[in-house]
Amino acid sequence: MQKQVRLEAAPPPGGTLAERELEASLGWLISLRWVAGLGVLIATWAIGRILALQLASGPLYAIGTSILAYNIAFGWMLRRLRRHSAAPLSGANRLAHLQIASDWVAMTLLIHFSGGAESPAILYFFFHIALASILLSSRATYLYAVLATCLVGGTLLLEYGGILPHVAVVGFVPVPLYQQPAYVGGLLFFIISAMFVVAYLATRMTTRLRRREADVLELSQRLQRAYGRLQTLYEGAQVVTSTLDLQQVLNRLVEGTAKAMGVRACSIRLLDETGTRLRVAAVYGLSQSYLRKGDLALDRNPLARDALAGQAVIVGDVTTEPRLQFAAEAVAEGIRSTLTLPLHGKGGALGLIRAYSTEADHFTSDDETFLSAIAGQGSIAIENAMAYQKLAALDQMKSRFALTVTHELRSPVSVVRSLLRTMVAGYAGSMTEAQRDIVARALHRADFLQTLIDDLLDLAAGKSDVAATEERVPVPLDQAVERVIKRFEVLAKEKQVALEWRCESEDRPMTISATPEGVDRVLNNLLSNAVKYTPGGGRVSVRLRRAAVSTQRSAAGDPSGGDACLEVRDTGIGIPEDALPHMFEEFYRASNAKALVKDGTGLGMAITKDLVSRHGGRISVESVPGQGTTFRVTWPSVQV
Amino acid sequence: MANEKILIIDDDDDIVLAMRLPLEAAGYRVFRAASSDEGLQSVKAIAPDLILLDVMMDTTTAGIQVSLTLRNPDSTSEYAAFREIPILMITAIHATTPLRFAPDHDYLPVDAFIEKPIEPDELLARVREQLAKKPA
Repeated sequence: MQKQVRLEAAPPPGGTLAERELEASLGWLISLRWVAGLGVLIATWAIGRILALQLASGPLYAIGTSILAYNIAFGWMLRRLRRHSAAPLSGANRLAHLQIASDWVAMTLLIHFSGGAESPAILYFFFHIALASILLSSRATYLYAVLATCLVGGTLLLEYGGILPHVAVVGFVPVPLYQQPAYVGGLLFFIISAMFVVAYLATRMTTRLRRREADVLELSQRLQRAYGRLQTLYEGAQVVTSTLDLQQVLNRLVEGTAKAMGVRACSIRLLDETGTRLRVAAVYGLSQSYLRKGDLALDRNPLARDALAGQAVIVGDVTTEPRLQFAAEAVAEGIRSTLTLPLHGKGGALGLIRAYSTEADHFTSDDETFLSAIAGQGSIAIENAMAYQKLAALDQMKSRFALTVTHELRSPVSVVRSLLRTMVAGYAGSMTEAQRDIVARALHRADFLQTLIDDLLDLAAGKSDVAATEERVPVPLDQAVERVIKRFEVLAKEKQVALEWRCESEDRPMTISATPEGVDRVLNNLLSNAVKYTPGGGRVSVRLRRAAVSTQRSAAGDPSGGDACLEVRDTGIGIPEDALPHMFEEFYRASNAKALVKDGTGLGMAITKDLVSRHGGRISVESVPGQGTTFRVTWPSVQV
Repeated sequence: MANEKILIIDDDDDIVLAMRLPLEAAGYRVFRAASSDEGLQSVKAIAPDLILLDVMMDTTTAGIQVSLTLRNPDSTSEYAAFREIPILMITAIHATTPLRFAPDHDYLPVDAFIEKPIEPDELLARVREQLAKKPA
């Protein structure tokens, strides 16, 4: 996004295309002129010395030297122009005219002193026409062609008429051609026509070239802009869908949009419950005082109505827009133009997204297309986050309800059990065998009801916010396991189930951060199931070891050095394959478990899984029906 | 034969019945108060040998307030004479909240807890245990 902002904010280095081109051409012309000046000097010397022709070497040396001299001046002027110029284009233009004019004067003098009509240097004027077309506009080029005609024609005619003395290169031309009217006339005609043809061809080519260059530049700038926006959209999609927190989604949307569009601010307003007002939900780049102006009321804001109905609304100038509810506030905030688009979800309008610029008439149809893509993408993210928020609230409400209901159930059930126990114990007088049996059955069912309620309470408490307030302490796992193992020793012995326990932690004890009750409950559930569903002669083995350091944790610089892994393996009835995926579901009991043990809430494993994951752990199960089951719990260990 | 006076302070008639039956069968004289205020008055009127105190009555901590009043260490307290009566607190709190109570003479001045539902034999055992502690 940053990159995009830079692209839009800063103009290309060195000014506009025309400025840069002219400047470069002027520099190039100055380099050429060194050659031209030296060429004049060397040619004068060579003609006199080597070809032994007699020529006006004095004036020619003077011309060559002057060319070099004024070139030094032009070089200095160009440097100055590049360094500090408020209006580089007009300065460069002036310098171009100055250079061409000087050259043409030098050229005319050179022609005159090298034989006038007889001088071959006359052909060099074509270069000058070509140069003018490169440096100047077409019109200026034609004007210079006219000027050249006057200069060359004037010189030739003046010499022909004897007004200007003819300077001959003695020995170059056998007959004085400058006095031959047919020759001078023919030369003039061809020179002049050729000059205009060259002017025509050169300006045409230059114009086409310039147009093409401008096209390429504009195209590449548009491409860059489009690429930047595409990048923003892509990044935006990633960022926005990476969270389900509504406020975060909104904040990222407004900030990303403002930056990508290179505008002052962006806001998102969402419809309230009544559907009549638009509340500011997220904002980037607007002042607090501006935001305090209040909600947009749909009945007083035709612009918001139009936008919500699905229209993109561009306000080119807030001072003249009648549909605005808070035009004065916008002006005070420094906002001149806005672009507003609707946010539409599956269930209808969600609200508006608006971009704000400090310039009047800032927004184009390109901006509209871009913001509309953002709005489309944003609407999905907003709707997802809203749905998630609603679900989370519902889930919380459900858990609270379950917690309250089960809590209320607990008290009467406990009273029923107290009364029945008193009766079974014979404190309410003697009963017949049949009566005692009935009461015992009722008590048994009441006891089960109590277990069910306690399990439900645990489950509901775990899912409600109560769990978040639990205080975690370091719990040494080996000690916790030992305590629970002791609890089941008698039962295992009665059932003739071998109970083995092995701690494979080398030096350090494995400690996790948890609530002692939670850990106890997990271990109790696992052991109780293992013993319960293992027939006599079987074996239950509990093993505690340090799991290999997971790469994820070690990469994050976790100092604990590994997870604690608890394994409870039994040789019991096993879990049928079709039941395995449902093992941790609430109220689920495998068919073979139901057949073996009638009473069971089907909540134990759900509670266990919930407790394990609340403590940052994982639980998994493997089983072969008829052979046994292994439960594995992995907790992140902590250092004490 | 035990004929000590036991005061049950509990607003739930049914749970009172469940406790009264085994206690009376064991020979104790059982009195009952249905609120904290009535309970405090009964303590003065009856001067029981042991108090069975429910935690939740008119308020969720009514029982705790009663125990604090009875065990007030201030020598001018109107209950100063009853400070030594053993208090057994009846609670169902353990299984439902992460709160943990332990007898603590500053914060929760009771002698022992009995969890609901009431197991009659356990109730009698606890009562006997507390009464035995009391110097005759």
